Amino acid sequence: MPNFMEWATHGIKRGRFEMDHCMVMRVGAVVVTVTLLAALYLALVSQTAARGRHIQQLQAELSRLQRDSEQLEVDIARAGSISSLRERALALGLGAAEEVVFLPLTAP
Amino acid sequence: MAEGPRRRLQLMSILLIGLALVLVAQLTQVQVVNHQFYDDWGREQRERIIAVAAPPRGVIRDRNGCLLAGNEVMYAIEADTVYVVDVEGAAAQLAPLLHMPASQIARRLKSDAPWIQLASPVPKEVGERVAELGLQGITVCPLWVRRYPEGDLASHLLGFCNAEGRGFYGVEGFHDGLLQPKKVDRAGPVDLTSDQVPWTVAPVMLPQAGDELILSIDRTVQAVVEEELMRAVYQYQATSGTIIVMDPRTFEVLAMASLPDYAPGRYNEFYTFDRPPFDDPAVSKQYEPGSVFKVLTVAAALDSGAVTPEMTYYDQGWIEVGGVVIWNAYDMVGQHDVADILIHSLNVGAAWLSTRMGRDSFYRYVMAFGIGRPTGIDVAGEAAGQLWLPEDYEHWHDSNLGTNAFGQGLAVTPIQMIAAVATVANGGVRLRPHVVGQRIGPDGAVTAYRTVVEAQVISPETAQIVTDMMERAVEDAGRIGLEGYRIAGKSGTAQIPVPGGYDRERTITSFVGFGPLPDPQLIILVKLDRPGTSSWASETAVPAFRQLAERLFVVLGIPPDDSQMAQGAQAAVR
Repeated sequence: MPNFMEWATHGIKRGRFEMDHCMVMRVGAVVVTVTLLAALYLALVSQTAARGRHIQQLQAELSRLQRDSEQLEVDIARAGSISSLRERALALGLGAAEEVVFLPLTAP
Repeated sequence: MAEGPRRRLQLMSILLIGLALVLVAQLTQVQVVNHQFYDDWGREQRERIIAVAAPPRGVIRDRNGCLLAGNEVMYAIEADTVYVVDVEGAAAQLAPLLHMPASQIARRLKSDAPWIQLASPVPKEVGERVAELGLQGITVCPLWVRRYPEGDLASHLLGFCNAEGRGFYGVEGFHDGLLQPKKVDRAGPVDLTSDQVPWTVAPVMLPQAGDELILSIDRTVQAVVEEELMRAVYQYQATSGTIIVMDPRTFEVLAMASLPDYAPGRYNEFYTFDRPPFDDPAVSKQYEPGSVFKVLTVAAALDSGAVTPEMTYYDQGWIEVGGVVIWNAYDMVGQHDVADILIHSLNVGAAWLSTRMGRDSFYRYVMAFGIGRPTGIDVAGEAAGQLWLPEDYEHWHDSNLGTNAFGQGLAVTPIQMIAAVATVANGGVRLRPHVVGQRIGPDGAVTAYRTVVEAQVISPETAQIVTDMMERAVEDAGRIGLEGYRIAGKSGTAQIPVPGGYDRERTITSFVGFGPLPDPQLIILVKLDRPGTSSWASETAVPAFRQLAERLFVVLGIPPDDSQMAQGAQAAVR
């Protein structure tokens, strides 16, 4: 491998670059700007992720509450169903009225 | 530069350019030619369709807000077998909760399938306890299961919902589109274990529950109706039966019951391959109505001007129409007026009316009453009935004009029949019967049912005359006997068509009545199929109507008229 590299680069004159001060300043400015932009981007992304996670948690909580609410409503409806009420009424010794009389209300 | 190095440099340049070209070609292949393929492949690996937890199906309530169909939470216990680290430990912890042997659970967890369902559905408490264990690779997914807290109350009317959340029959089937929840699925980034990564803010749009339906049904009325139907079917040894209670002023159905019925929460236990009992007979079972139909014939004849209430005819006990001789059920030879046709249920008189009207006029009225086509009620599976018209030359015969007049040779559904008679009770205006009174969207927006006027079939004057005749028919028969309440009605004892003619023994008995007059608030149809104790409506459907109407007037707080109330009050004081 060293022989190959030597063979490939033999006779190539290495160039010399002189550092231009102005050029260094410009490159430095670009690097700083890019770094700032990257930091801003990272901050935004992390904030977005945090909010996304919070929304996920809220959605999960909402679903859980909705499930509990639906379950409670079914339980209440079962407890107050016609058949349950009839059973409880019979257990209390209540029965259907044998005769119903409507009484007229006269205005005073 | 010397010749040797120059050549080598050129060779290297060509080599590098060649390599660069190969790379560019490969990039073009990947980025341009096969762009879509790699784009999809990448998205498939890093994104999943994330379904936000499914909301429940819309609930169904009665007119007073009582829950008739709701949703219960149950859970499915599933496993991503690849991620279950401690198989034996997980199996040992799950076994007592799932009531399964640990060895069986362990064997399933070791299977090659990447995903398995261990148990579903399990009760809420079990699901929550499994979730609390926090076992790696074991997931607990909530499921909505449809529940009917009132048991088998209004089963035919409600229909049922299967395990996949689809509604069938009744209101569940008819309004399935409204009741279905609106799910929200979105593509989102996931991690290696397919768990959602919140790189992007979730969309604000949340899944929405299905619409809530408020029915016109009153569950107390429904319970009373079902109890009375059960009593009537048992007492008169009928094979089946139907009762419909409706408000004739709005055509709102207050109760609708049929036997035999089923429990919608356990519908699969009632399934039979040849004849599943799920169709609602009140809207789908066709029958020949018999003499109840004479109400429509008399109304049509009077309204068309073919006869007047005072007009009389001589009834010789029979009449020939289209070569077929029609007989009365009883010996009623003599001079009769139009009211007598209802009071004495004269087949000959009904045929006399239809022949006087002529076929075009008669069938125009029959169709205007809604016979021969669905009423449009919002319950799945409604049948159209059967009405042959003169233009149906293969089926219609001249004699049909005579037999149709007293409800033979045509078929109706119970809802058609009650809607047609309710037209008379409603001053001649036919509305569309309905069971849904309100719809409440997930955002709380309330949409009330808008009354649909189908037709002004007969004039209010004619409707009043027919109502008076029907009241006389009830009074003269003396069988209703509801003290303090004026009732108009008509009974029907219909023969059952069988191949080659009519059943000689069994009948379908029915009674349609409305009251209390003069401002009827209820119309009730009682229909009993093949009663065993008697073939006559007067001895089966009529007493069943009386018993039911008496209870319903009390349940709904409809008092008797003033004079009766005063007498009742005096009696109570004494």
